[in-house]
Amino acid sequence: MLVRNSERWASTTDEELARRGQDGDEAAFEALVQRHHATVYRVALSIVSDPDLAQDAAQEAFLKAYRGLGGFRGEAAFRTWLLTITANAARSMLRRRTRRKETELDQAPPVVSGGPDPSEQAVVAQEAAVARALLAKLPEKQRLSVQLRVDEGLSFREIGEVIGSSEGAARVNYFHGIHRLREWLR
Amino acid sequence: MNGSVCDRIRDRIPDHVAGRLAPGDAAEVARHLEGCGECRAESDLVALLFEGRPEAPRGLVGNVVAASRLRGATRHPWWGLAAAAVAALALGIGMSSRSPDPALDVPVYVSEADDREPLWLSDDGLIAGAPALEGLSEEDLMLLLQEMTVGGAA
Repeated sequence: MLVRNSERWASTTDEELARRGQDGDEAAFEALVQRHHATVYRVALSIVSDPDLAQDAAQEAFLKAYRGLGGFRGEAAFRTWLLTITANAARSMLRRRTRRKETELDQAPPVVSGGPDPSEQAVVAQEAAVARALLAKLPEKQRLSVQLRVDEGLSFREIGEVIGSSEGAARVNYFHGIHRLREWLR
Repeated sequence: MNGSVCDRIRDRIPDHVAGRLAPGDAAEVARHLEGCGECRAESDLVALLFEGRPEAPRGLVGNVVAASRLRGATRHPWWGLAAAAVAALALGIGMSSRSPDPALDVPVYVSEADDREPLWLSDDGLIAGAPALEGLSEEDLMLLLQEMTVGGAA
C-alpha cells in the first residue's frame, strides 16, 4: 500500500502535499513521510549519534510536523521546515536522555587488513565507514553542513535555514569540515 | 589548481558524486577532475562520505504512519483550537495551566532565522578549530573561505 501511495503522489510537490495534509488528508502526509524519512533519520542520527534514538527522534519529528502542519505557511521549502523540526526534536530527545551513548571513533568498523584478498568493494566500504566516523567528530554545524550538502543535496541557503546560519556561514562550515576531514584522512 | 574554476567545481562535487547533475554539467565536472588533483582528492573524499551514508531502518515509515494515525484522533485543526480557546475563556479556565503542546515546537517562519529560537545548544566556536562565524559579515565569510581554499586545502 505504501508503494502505491508513493507512486500516486510522485508528481506532487512537497508543498502541495503539505497543503493537503493541513486539510486532513492522511495519505498526503504518508507520502511526505515516505519521501523524506531517510533524510530525517540521517539528520537525527547526526545529532543524537545513536541509531535507536535517531529512529525515535525521526518519528517524533514527523509527528510534530503532522500536528504542526497548520503552522507551515509555505514561506520556506517544506523540506527545510521539516529538517528544522527534526533538529529540534533530536536535540530535545538528547537533552531528555540521562545516559547517552557516546559515538567514538573506535566504535566504527576498524580498518584492518581484509584478509588475503579483500575485494575492492570491501575496502571502499571500510574507508567509507572511517570517513563517516570522522564526520561524526566534526563540530555540529560543520557536520550538519557536510551531511546536508553531500547526502541530501541541499543548497547552502537551505542548509543555513536548517542550522540557523546565513548562507555564507553554511558554505564556510561545509568547506571547513571538508578541509578538516581531508587533514584527518591524510 | 585554478582558483575560480576550482571554486565553481568544488561547489558541484557533492551533486556530481551523487548523480544529481544534468549530463552536461556532470561532463564538465568530470573533465575538470581529470586534470585537477586537488579537486579530485576532494571528490574522492565526498564520494567516500556519500558511499557510507546510513540507510534508514526498515519499518520506520510504517511506524511513523501508524503513530500518526494513532495520534491523529487528537490532532486539532485550527478551528478546533480556536473553539477550545473560546470555550476555555468562557469557562474561566486559565490557559497557562496547560502543559505545552509539542505541536507548538515547530517553526512557523523558517525563512526568518532571527525569529526562531536557537537550534543549537552547543557553541561550535568553543570547540578548537571551529571558527565563530555568526558575527561575521558576508564579506568576512568570503574572505575566510578564500583563505581556507587557497592556503588550507593544498
